[in-house]
Amino acid sequence: MTRFLLRRLLLAVPTLLGVSAVVFATVALVPGDPVTAFLGPGAPAEARQALAERIGLDRPLPVRYLDWLGHALTGDLGTSTSTQRPVAALLLPALGQTLTLTAAAFALVLLGGVLLGTLGALRPHGWTRRLSGAAATLAVSAPQYSVALLLTAVLAVHWRLLPAGGTHDAFGPGGTGDLLRHLVLPATAAALVPLGLTAKVHRAALSGVLASDLADGLRARGLGRAAVLRHCAHNASPALLTIGGLQLAYLLEGVVFVETLYAWPGLGRLLYDALTARDLPLVQGGVLLVATAFVGVNLLVDAAHAAIDPRVRS
Amino acid sequence: MTQHLRIRSRAAAALATAALLAATGCASTSAGGDAAGGGGGGGGGTLVIGATGKLPNLDTVIGGAGFEGKRLLSFQIYEGLTRYELLKDTDKPPQVTGALAESWQVAPDKVTWTFALRKGVTFQDGTAFDADAVLFNLHRYLDKASPEYTDALGAAAKEYAGDIASYRKTDDTHVELVTSSPNGHFPEDLAHVLIASPTAVRKSGSANFSQHPVGTGPFAFASQTEGQQVDLVANKDYWRGAPRLERLVVKALPDPAARTAALRSGGANWIEYPNPDDLESLKADGAQVLSNSYDHLWYWILDTTKGPWADVRVRQAANYAIDRQAIADNLLHGTADPAYQAAPRATAAYDQGDDRYAHDPAKARQLLAEAGYPNGFATSVTVPTGGSGNLLPVPITEALQRDLAAVGIKVDIRTTDWTTLIGAEAKGEVALGSDAIAQSTTLFQSEALLPLFIGSKSPFWTGHYANAKVDELIATAAANPDQSARQAAYRTALRQVTEDAPWLFVVNDRNPRALAPSVHGLVQPQSWFLDLTTVSVTK
Repeated sequence: MTRFLLRRLLLAVPTLLGVSAVVFATVALVPGDPVTAFLGPGAPAEARQALAERIGLDRPLPVRYLDWLGHALTGDLGTSTSTQRPVAALLLPALGQTLTLTAAAFALVLLGGVLLGTLGALRPHGWTRRLSGAAATLAVSAPQYSVALLLTAVLAVHWRLLPAGGTHDAFGPGGTGDLLRHLVLPATAAALVPLGLTAKVHRAALSGVLASDLADGLRARGLGRAAVLRHCAHNASPALLTIGGLQLAYLLEGVVFVETLYAWPGLGRLLYDALTARDLPLVQGGVLLVATAFVGVNLLVDAAHAAIDPRVRS
Repeated sequence: MTQHLRIRSRAAAALATAALLAATGCASTSAGGDAAGGGGGGGGGTLVIGATGKLPNLDTVIGGAGFEGKRLLSFQIYEGLTRYELLKDTDKPPQVTGALAESWQVAPDKVTWTFALRKGVTFQDGTAFDADAVLFNLHRYLDKASPEYTDALGAAAKEYAGDIASYRKTDDTHVELVTSSPNGHFPEDLAHVLIASPTAVRKSGSANFSQHPVGTGPFAFASQTEGQQVDLVANKDYWRGAPRLERLVVKALPDPAARTAALRSGGANWIEYPNPDDLESLKADGAQVLSNSYDHLWYWILDTTKGPWADVRVRQAANYAIDRQAIADNLLHGTADPAYQAAPRATAAYDQGDDRYAHDPAKARQLLAEAGYPNGFATSVTVPTGGSGNLLPVPITEALQRDLAAVGIKVDIRTTDWTTLIGAEAKGEVALGSDAIAQSTTLFQSEALLPLFIGSKSPFWTGHYANAKVDELIATAAANPDQSARQAAYRTALRQVTEDAPWLFVVNDRNPRALAPSVHGLVQPQSWFLDLTTVSVTK
């Protein structure tokens, strides 16, 4: 088990290196430069030169990359060109916001996905199966942007039950309850597609196990429905884990539109703004952070997988 | 003269930066109101403004990529020696008046300015404002040897303070600033050179001052969620009288649908630039929609050295071919006015009698025929996909494409993002190599910027328009301390530009904003900037 995890951990290093190199090169190739984006097109040549030197744009790309990598290893991700603030100081609060939103959405995905999937698997021919199947299909295929707008229009604008955006009410004192209220709409919008997918995968896996000899054997031994379901769910859980891990990673980086639509100050929005401002240090630091989170989630999923399924370890 | 032009164009370049960035869709800042404004103090509730772009770095002049935060934040926290008067005479472009300076005079040498500082003003942290505070800030911006100087500050300050050659205090309430060449609009430039509390800068350190900004403006910094929301509170000791609001919150809401939803759901009680399509329904729901003309122009820069555009008759023909009123009415729902000439309506250079280019396709065809293009020609334009100062760039361009096709000018539309477009412009290039650029610019009221827009010494001279008469008029005017003489010269220069038609003049934006019924007392000036001291919110 330890060896397995160690190997996975070592594999993460070249992955992250590769990601950072590709991002560095790609961002450098995008037209439009950070000096112009920050100083504007009419800036005096000497000011442009000074800024270019200060952020190191006058040196060759590989040298800049190695320099950046060296600093990144010590936790110094440089200074954002568009805001003149340390990159880490911008990324960490945004990461916190994204993790909050992701956690809320992921809770919905697991809860809803398992519920719908189980409902669908329990009675292969009943109306619950059709209903849960339809709900899952709707969640996957409904255009997220329109659903999000519709939810906002009805729940926030028309009935004024929930806030339309942001993390807390600017008129009030804030607090956890306020944060939870603000999480409902963005988390729901972000959860829709992964929830539908998770439901479908879980239903298929659970149906398979319920129809297998294992389930027949359990029933033959006189176990009740609930006990059979519990054992079968355990056997179906690797599939749930795999899809859940994938969806979690998807949520981490896929919430950009949700963050924009609901003015959620997370990583996605920060990176989008950074890209439009050609803020290279911020983009590079942000992508590295997201990639690290992605690799980390995968590592966790692998570890969990190995823990519940001995076959994976060998 | 060469030296003079070089220096002016540098300072102007810096300002132009600001102007173009402003057009990218940030909010702008407002100087305070007038001495009679404000007052009342307290009890005025909380104003939550949904802004269209990112929020700026709050360290004085730095701002960053975007002017929206400047209108709503930097100018609320800080003031310069001068400010725009935004509460009086709102049917005319704003005048510059005293802020931290009460009065000023220029010596006969036209470069030595003496400013008499306002007495009894304190910063929001209680520090007294005096001549030493002015010197401290100028050191911080201009003197690389100052411990508080940073490259970012230096680069940003060049935009507005770039031609200050020397400065000193003559006593505690007087400072003397010397410009490197005569600059008639120096007092206006100084409205942008913001003054921070020296005590606060030393306390937080120059690099961290953006986290603890302190100025003399009507609102004091309280807290922020970086880049997303800034909370300000009323400066009860503001020298013009405490603002009526208790709190001012600015939120970044870049998505137009999110802004509209925020206003409707009560998450904000003021939104900047609502989607024109939403205006009718917002009004039906009781929202107040306010707008006023300001110094904005949406236009195409035609490359006057390329193909048919080199012929003035062709450029005039294009200007006669387009139906600006239809664009203003149908596409923009009255949030913009048709622009029939080079000078935006809300500038001293605007002359109604010079509204030359009515919609006249017959005349356009005749001019094209005279120029040797009876069957028209094919051309191309690069259009940015966004930028709130750019209104609805692609739909407007498509409307223009239809109008121009009607007289035989076939336009190939090439879209790109705004950063790419201005990045190329900075190098004097047109992104995607088109014959024209579609864009918008504001701050035509800023005299320092005029040479950039219409002079041949502009650093983003992509249209290659050059008229020696225009250059001469602007250069001579800029050095003249007499404002009315300067304005007369600008009017003459812009009349010439209108006739030469180096651009396709399209519309002047009206700066629309939507306010909840509970918001009262906003005075909307003919300016990019706002005075929020008279605003209050009922509970």
